[in-house]
Amino acid sequence: MVTLLPPSGSTAPPPHRSSDGSGLRSGHAGRHLIIVGWISAGLVTAAAGHSFPAARWLSLHLFLLGAVTNAIVVWSEHFTVALLHAPDPDVRWSNARLAGLNVAILAVLGGVAADVPVLTGIGAAAVTAAVLARLTALVRMGRRALGGKLALLTLYYKAAALALVVGAALGGLLATGWGAARHTELMLAHIHVNLLGWVGLPVIGTLFMLWPTVLRLRMEDRTVRVARRSLGLLLAGLVLMTAGLLAGIRLPAAAGLAVYAAGLIDAAVLFLTTVRRRSRHSPASVMLAAATGWFVVAVLADLVLMSTRSLHHLHTDLEPVTWLLMVGMVAQVLLGALTHLLPVVLGRGPAGRATVQARLDVAWPARVSALNLAVPLLALPLPHLATVVGWLLAGAAVASFTVLCASVLAERHAQSDEAEPRTFPGRAPLVGGVAGVVLTVMAVVLATTSGGTPQPQGEAVDTAASRTRTVKVALSGMRVSPATIAVPAGTRLVLEVTNQDSMRHDLRVEDGPGTPLLDGGDTARLHVGTITADRDAWCTVPGHRAAGMTMRISIQNTDKATGRSAGGHDGHAAVPDTTSTGPNLAADFTEGFEPRPAVLPSTGEGRIHKLRLNAVEKHIEVAPGVRQRMWTFGGTVPGPVLRGKVGDTFEITLVNDTSMGHGIDFHAGALAPDRPMRTIEPDEELVYRFRAEHAGAWLYHCSTAPMLQHMGNGMYGAVIIDPPHLPRVDREYVLVASQLYLGTPGSSSHVAKMTSGRPDAWVFNGTAAQYATAPLAARPGERARFWVVAAGPSDGIAFHMVGTVFDTVYKEGAYLLRADAPTRGGAQVLDLAAGQGGFVETRFPEAGRYTFVDHDMRHAESGAHGTVRVER
Amino acid sequence: MNGVDGWALVRFAHVTGAALWVGGQLALSLVILPLARRMLTPEARGRFVQQAGRRFGLLTAAVFLPVQLTTGVAMAWHKGVTWAALAEPGYGRILAAKLALFTAVMVAAGLHGWAHARSRTELARALAVTSLIGSLGVVLLATALPAT
Repeated sequence: MVTLLPPSGSTAPPPHRSSDGSGLRSGHAGRHLIIVGWISAGLVTAAAGHSFPAARWLSLHLFLLGAVTNAIVVWSEHFTVALLHAPDPDVRWSNARLAGLNVAILAVLGGVAADVPVLTGIGAAAVTAAVLARLTALVRMGRRALGGKLALLTLYYKAAALALVVGAALGGLLATGWGAARHTELMLAHIHVNLLGWVGLPVIGTLFMLWPTVLRLRMEDRTVRVARRSLGLLLAGLVLMTAGLLAGIRLPAAAGLAVYAAGLIDAAVLFLTTVRRRSRHSPASVMLAAATGWFVVAVLADLVLMSTRSLHHLHTDLEPVTWLLMVGMVAQVLLGALTHLLPVVLGRGPAGRATVQARLDVAWPARVSALNLAVPLLALPLPHLATVVGWLLAGAAVASFTVLCASVLAERHAQSDEAEPRTFPGRAPLVGGVAGVVLTVMAVVLATTSGGTPQPQGEAVDTAASRTRTVKVALSGMRVSPATIAVPAGTRLVLEVTNQDSMRHDLRVEDGPGTPLLDGGDTARLHVGTITADRDAWCTVPGHRAAGMTMRISIQNTDKATGRSAGGHDGHAAVPDTTSTGPNLAADFTEGFEPRPAVLPSTGEGRIHKLRLNAVEKHIEVAPGVRQRMWTFGGTVPGPVLRGKVGDTFEITLVNDTSMGHGIDFHAGALAPDRPMRTIEPDEELVYRFRAEHAGAWLYHCSTAPMLQHMGNGMYGAVIIDPPHLPRVDREYVLVASQLYLGTPGSSSHVAKMTSGRPDAWVFNGTAAQYATAPLAARPGERARFWVVAAGPSDGIAFHMVGTVFDTVYKEGAYLLRADAPTRGGAQVLDLAAGQGGFVETRFPEAGRYTFVDHDMRHAESGAHGTVRVER
Repeated sequence: MNGVDGWALVRFAHVTGAALWVGGQLALSLVILPLARRMLTPEARGRFVQQAGRRFGLLTAAVFLPVQLTTGVAMAWHKGVTWAALAEPGYGRILAAKLALFTAVMVAAGLHGWAHARSRTELARALAVTSLIGSLGVVLLATALPAT
């Protein structure tokens, strides 16, 4: 072992094996690189933001479980050897234990990052095992050692290891959700045992020895006595406090903390009296002194809180104290100790040591000031801006030191390699491996989490006008209530989330927005967006989802939900499945929604009709508040209506602007399908030329297989060829009837709906119920003609208009009924199979609202209805 | 939309490039370099490692990187990925993370070459392992991308 203590310290262990150089030296450098690596990962994650709890948890644990735990393990082993005058432990075993610990830590962090509680549980168990292995090693070292005056101090390390065993087990219970029933108690015990036991004990124990060394003073004679007394108090306090916290009884917990505080103050007084003997201070001594001071302040503040607040409120109230301890004590001790130890460990000879020291001391007054200024900014109840400044200061201090450390370590490393050949496996692969795994874990975290911006995803669109439902949601006792929310599809859902718990929670919706982390009593509004499919929501604080903090947002049966069936018809229990997933037709259309014009343009004068038709994919509002990416001809569903007379020529240039093959088939033309109806690839175009030899209401549609999908996704339209001598009427409308399938085009669930004939809605002109919201217009006494084409892809239509009688029916090229026929017949329905077309005419007798429907009532009530508003 | 088309070839080039690069690193660090260390004299070993590293670096810069970048960008364009889409949870976020990790891996690989040239052997080794594990992470994220 290298000389740890300068010669002036008379109680220093002899520099035995000091000639044993490069191996351990480079070993130390490797181990310190691991520590520096964890600090860096923690800083990067912290800089990435605390917007969601997993990141916050992760940065905290990267620092405490990663960096601090490694530092304690590495240094306590190092000091134990020095204190006991023991031989060095077997390097291979020592490395294996360290590697095992780091793999275990990675498992814990990875488990939380990837939301795999089982992995976290296994990792926590492995951390416990690694620390137990290390404890065994310390004990065995003690047996073989000569012992020394300060052998007592190793007890601090052993006690600390036991504390981590308890703390890690508690952490495992928390993170996996197994301890959900007693979450508050476990959390408080976890925090206290780990921070005051696993971190606090080694810090105090080491300071007894390190403090005089840093100050370059003789150790005081009473040191051993004080250390023994102090350890007794600290341990008794810890045990009592932990038991009290776990049992959820405040008084013994506070009493235990008081005893712990007495032990700490006892030690601190000794440190203080030592300081007074020295007037000039090094960076390390200043940082260690400040750290001790903050440690005492934090424990006393904790004691005040624990004696005055109920345990259930302690967790949130304790947070400033935790930051105080984290930044003021833990981070500062880490920096101070590294400042002192790295030159000792890495520097060769007094000159080498001085070089390293000089590098590490660069700008130290600024760093120490920043760090200690940050502590009150973070701990006191100041405005948010102050907290941000505090974090920036603390982050800058730690980051600048990390850079200095890394530069020193990298340089030493290179030199030691040049100087002598390596005699044992280097630690470079381990260090590189740690860096690689940390990078990967961070990337996985980035990949699997959502940011803070509440952006509804998928087909839902977030605008103000559609039907909105606000639901109050309470978070408490590891539950989200209500546990399920059922809403009609198409509802814009707003959650008013209140955290009624004492601990912090949030709520995040699957593939969607999340609330910020809420303190107890806080409320946040969460705009989930339009609900088109079942979604889960849960609290993202690690362990809470596993403990049962989940909620399901499910789609409710449309008819029951909207109560649209008036008039006492309660027979809707027999509503077929087809409507259960349908959109909410009573919802409002989004603002700016333009209904598809149903007015049929008059026949032009030209005898040749040229049209450039682009196949494009486009988001279209297919039902109130529900937008879906559709496959279209010309950007609309249905595609543009073509109208002409018998004998007209149509020249259509189809341009494929999509990323898949499409084609077109005009029923109105007669020609060999091979060329014009072929499938063209993306960016290709074809010209489809036909002469309309026959009158009728014709369908055109995509000719590419599977046509069920191409038509079901919107690729259809109408061609109207007037019969000769078609009488002039006052109004002419065209309605293309079809079925609507919600979902992602091409997805298996979407295709399954089509193949099994389970549409979400039946629609006129592409959008469900649009003419119920925006009625067609006519005046009393006017004569109107309705062209109807059944586009399918599967169902036909029974077109009926409530309150009218059709006096003219034209179906598939023939008049079935004429207004002036002597038979005085009337018709009630124009029935069309999929792919057929025709028209009906009627005269509106008086002002009123005339509903037109597909008289298959399943279809009518699921979107195939509209209104003609007849008024003067 | 069905069968083997041009895009299948692009995907093929992308996947094969990744396989060659990750596999090359694995073969170098698990098979070739350990053997070289054991079987060659120190001088020969030094030269061998240097030459092997230089050749693999050349392959990376001249073939692997251009192929991956071109095919990757092409596929993203084909799939309609936009800058905004990269921020969306799910496909976009995973792709963004994969790109970030890939960039980090390339930086590590570049630094590895630099460290090697400066005879900082240990640093170079550490960076090589970082790059290797990071590349495996990239593959992991690639397999996590929803199938297209």
